[in-house]
Amino acid sequence: MAKRKGRSRTIQTIAKKEYRELMHERTFVLSVIIQLFIASFSTFLVIGLTSFYDPMAMGDIDIKGTRIAIIESNNSDLYSFIENSGITPLPYADFTRASSAFYDRRVDAILLVSDGPPDGHDLINIDLYLPRSDIKATLVSMQLKEPLEEFEQTVRDIRTKRLDGYTPLDINFIDDKQQTSSTYFEFIYVALLPLLMFTPAFISGGLVIDLITEEFEKKTIDLLLVAPVSLLDVINGKVLLTAIIAPIQSLAWMLLLMANDIVIHNPIQILALVLVISFVLVLVSSIISVWFRERGVGQLYYSLVLIAMFLASYLFTNSPLNLVTRLSLQSISVPESVGWIVLYTMIALVLYAMLHRSIGKYNKL
Amino acid sequence: MAGWVTIAKWEVLRSKQKFDIRSTVFLSVALAMLFLAAFAATNTNMSMDQNIYRVVITDPYLQPMIDADQRFDIMIADEQDERTILAYDTELLIIGRDVYVKDTEKGTAAADALKRTLKNYREIVLTSYNDINNSHPVWITVHYMERSENFQIMSGERRDIEQTGSPGTTPGMDPAGTSDSETLAGVTTREGERIRSVDDLQKIGEQAFFEKQTIATPSFFSPPIPFTAILYSFLFIFPIYFVSQFYSSTIMDERTNKKCELVLVAPLHGRDIVIGKTMPYLVTIMLTLAAVTFYIKGIPGSMAEILTVLQILATVFPIVLLFLSLSFFSAILARSFKDLTFAMVFLSVVITGYLFFPAMFANVHTISTISPMTLVVHLIEGNDVRMAEYVFSTLPFYLISITVYAFGTFIFREEDLFTQKPLTEKVLDTIERFLTYPAGSIFLLSIIFIPFVYMTQLMLIVMLFNLPLPYSILGMIILAAFVEELVKSIGILTLVKRKMVILTPKSTIRLAVLAGGGFFVGEKLISLITLSAIASSAFGSVMTLGALLLIPLLLHVCTVLVVVSGLYVKNTRWYQPLVLLASLLHGLYNLYLLRGIIYG
Repeated sequence: MAKRKGRSRTIQTIAKKEYRELMHERTFVLSVIIQLFIASFSTFLVIGLTSFYDPMAMGDIDIKGTRIAIIESNNSDLYSFIENSGITPLPYADFTRASSAFYDRRVDAILLVSDGPPDGHDLINIDLYLPRSDIKATLVSMQLKEPLEEFEQTVRDIRTKRLDGYTPLDINFIDDKQQTSSTYFEFIYVALLPLLMFTPAFISGGLVIDLITEEFEKKTIDLLLVAPVSLLDVINGKVLLTAIIAPIQSLAWMLLLMANDIVIHNPIQILALVLVISFVLVLVSSIISVWFRERGVGQLYYSLVLIAMFLASYLFTNSPLNLVTRLSLQSISVPESVGWIVLYTMIALVLYAMLHRSIGKYNKL
Repeated sequence: MAGWVTIAKWEVLRSKQKFDIRSTVFLSVALAMLFLAAFAATNTNMSMDQNIYRVVITDPYLQPMIDADQRFDIMIADEQDERTILAYDTELLIIGRDVYVKDTEKGTAAADALKRTLKNYREIVLTSYNDINNSHPVWITVHYMERSENFQIMSGERRDIEQTGSPGTTPGMDPAGTSDSETLAGVTTREGERIRSVDDLQKIGEQAFFEKQTIATPSFFSPPIPFTAILYSFLFIFPIYFVSQFYSSTIMDERTNKKCELVLVAPLHGRDIVIGKTMPYLVTIMLTLAAVTFYIKGIPGSMAEILTVLQILATVFPIVLLFLSLSFFSAILARSFKDLTFAMVFLSVVITGYLFFPAMFANVHTISTISPMTLVVHLIEGNDVRMAEYVFSTLPFYLISITVYAFGTFIFREEDLFTQKPLTEKVLDTIERFLTYPAGSIFLLSIIFIPFVYMTQLMLIVMLFNLPLPYSILGMIILAAFVEELVKSIGILTLVKRKMVILTPKSTIRLAVLAGGGFFVGEKLISLITLSAIASSAFGSVMTLGALLLIPLLLHVCTVLVVVSGLYVKNTRWYQPLVLLASLLHGLYNLYLLRGIIYG
C-alpha cells in the first residue's frame, strides 16, 4: 500500500514538472489562440452561410431594394408570388430592353418565362439571368427560391392530378409561427460545439508525443531512469497531465458559448466524455511514441490515426462527436449516454493496458 | 556536383532509415484505416447529426418518410394513450397528420427540418412516376452575364457570358463569347426545344458537388455556393501539412544533440545545407500534389490538359513554399518539441483559414482571388486563370516564403542552432545579420516586412469579425497599427541593442525617417501591384486616401520617431511600452480618418 502511495506521488511530481514547463514556455498560449481562431472562423462562416441560406435570418439586409426584370407573354401567378416575397418585379416586353436595364443596374436579374399555360402539357421553362461574380447573384437566387417553389406548386396542383394514384401528403403544422431555418441551429450544435469540445483533446494527443519523444531523442530518459522513478511513472505522469488539461479548456469554451446565449444541457456528462476521449487519444499517441520514439514519425502516425477516427465517427450514432451534440440538446436519455461513456472508458482502459505492455517490453531491452 | 545535392542525397538516405519494417507496416495499416474510413464516410452519406430531434408519431404510415432522415429519433405511440405521448416530451408530436411543435428554438429547428424532409420525400415520390411533364413541370436554367462591378479587383472582361453546357440545352441557345445585349435578343424565339427527362433530375443531385448548378426545378434550385473549395483545399493541404510536419522534425532533429555540427564545419554554404535538406521534401510534396491533381482531373490526354495540370501545380507551389519556409523557421526558433508542435499547428490553421475562407466564395465574388485556392478551383472547373490574377494571389506567398527562408538561413549557424537563446534574441540575430549585409538597411527592412503586415492584417479581419461592430473596427485599428509599429521599429531596436549604432539626436531622426519612409514606399508598392484596379471604387479611396499622400508618410515617420527617441532618452527595456504608445497614436489617427464610417 505504501509503495503504491509513493508511486502515485512520483506520477504527480512528473505531471507537475511538465505542467510548470508548459506554463513557462508561453507557446501554450498559441494553442489557446488556435482554438479561438477556429471558433471565430466558424462564426465567420456561419454568419456568411446563414445569410445565404435564408436572407430573412439576417434581418437587416435590405431585400426590398432588389428589382428584377420579368418577361412573360401572358400573366402567370409567378409575378404575384414574386411581388409578395418582397422583391420588386418589373415587367419588360422583350429581352433587349430587359438586358439594357440589367447593364444599367436598374435590375439585378432577368427572368424569362416561357409560354406554356399551367394546365398545358409542355414543360414551363424559366431562364434566369444573373450577374456573374457578384454577391447579388446569390442573394437574388435565394430570394427567388420561395416564389419559384410556390409557382411550381400551383402548376403541380393542376398537373399531378394526371398522375396515376398520386395524392399529395397533407401534413398540417399546428400554430406554426417559425420563420427561421434549422441551418444555423444545426451548425452550432452539430459542427461548432463538438469541434470546440474536442479540439483541446486533439491537441493534447499531439502534445504527449512531443513530451515523450523528446525524452528519448535527447536521451534524457536514461538520466530519469537512474533516479528512483520507473519509465512507467514518467509516462503516466505525462499522460495524466495532458489528458486532464483538455476538459479544463473545454469548460472554458462551454462558458464562453453559454455567455453567448447558447444553451448547453448536460455539461457535466459532456466534460466527462471529453476527459475520457482525451485519455483515449493521449494513450493512443503515447503507445505510438513508445513504439517509434521519434517525433516526426510519431506525429505523422498520430495525425493519420486521428483523421481515421474522426471519419469513423461519422459512421455510427453516439460516436463521441454525435454524443456531445445529443447531450447538449437533451436528445438522449441518461442510461443511453452513460452506457456509451462507460463503453469509451473501457476502450481507454484497454489502451492503458496496451501502453503498460509496450513499456514493459522497453524495460526488458 | 553542387554541395546541396550531397546534402539532399544524405537526407533521403537518413529518412529511409526511419522507416524500418515495423514502421512501414504501421504506416500501411494507418493509411488503410484512413482510406477505409474515408470511403465508408463518403459512401454512407452520414453526418454527425444522427438522432438530434425527437418525434412522436401516432400514424405508422409516416415512419418510413421521417426515418429516411437520420436526424429524427422516432417513437410510435398509440393515439389514445395520452399519458405516454406526453411522457416523451419531444420537440415534435405528430398526432394523425397534425404536427404539434414545441415552442423552443430546438422545436422550430426540428419543424423546419421536418418540412425539408417531407419536401424531399415528395420529390422522390414524384420522380418515381417517370412522367416529367406532369411531375416536374417547371424548369429553371441559370445563365450568368458579366456586368462591371462596383467593387472589382481585376478590371475588364474576365469571363464572358457563361451559358450552361448542360445536356438538355440546344447548341443554338448558346450566346457564348459575347456580353453584347443585341445577340441575346433572339433567345426568346427558341424556347420549348429543350427536352427534359428523369435522368436530368438525377443529374442535379449528382452534379451538385463538382459543378455549379445550371438547370434545376424550383425545389432543387440552390444558390451558387461552392463547397467544392473546401474539399479541394483539404485534398491539397493534407499532404502539405504531413510532409511539412516531417520536414520540421528533421530540422529540429539536427539541433537536438548537435547532430548538424559536422555538416556545419564542412566546406559548404549555409544555403547549400538548407536547400539540400529542403529539396527532397519539396519534391515529395509536389509529386504527391501531382497525384492529387490527377485524381481530381483524371490522367491528362491532350496538351491542353497537361497545361492545366501544370497550371494547378504552379498555383499550389507558392502554398507549399510558404508551409515549408514557416516550418523551417519555427524549427530553428523552437526551444522544445512542444514549442514546434504548437507553432506548426498554429501556422497551419492560420494559413488554411487564409486559403480556405475566400475560396469558399470562388464563384461568388472576385475578391475571392486573394486566395490561390480560388484559382485552383477555377482551373479545376475548366476556366482560365490570367497572369494578373496569378500574380495578385501568389505574390504575397512568394515574397513571404523567400524572406523567411533568407532570414532562417542567416541564423543557420552553431550559435543559434545549438544554444538555448531566448526567442526574441534569435529574431534579433536574423535582423542583425540582414543589416550587416551591404545591401541591408533599415529602409529595405521596412519594405521587406510589408507582405507580412499585409497577411497578418487580413488574418486579423477574420479573427475580429466575431466581435460586435464598433469594437471589431476599434480592435482592428489598434491591432493593425500595432503590427505596423512593431515592424517599423524592430530593425532600429536591433541596431541599438546590438550596439551597431549609437543614438544621437541626429541619427534618431535619420533612422526614423528611413524606417517610416521605407514602410510608406512598400505600402504604396503593394497597393500599386494589387489594389490598383479598385482605386476608383469606394474601398480604393479609403485605402489610398487620394491627395493625403504626404500625411501618411509623416505619420509613419512620426510614430517611429516616438519609439526611437524614447529609446534614445531611456533604454531598450522601454521598447514594449514605447511601441504600444506609438500604436495608440497611429490608431487614433486612423480612427480620425475613419470617423465617418464608424459614427456616420
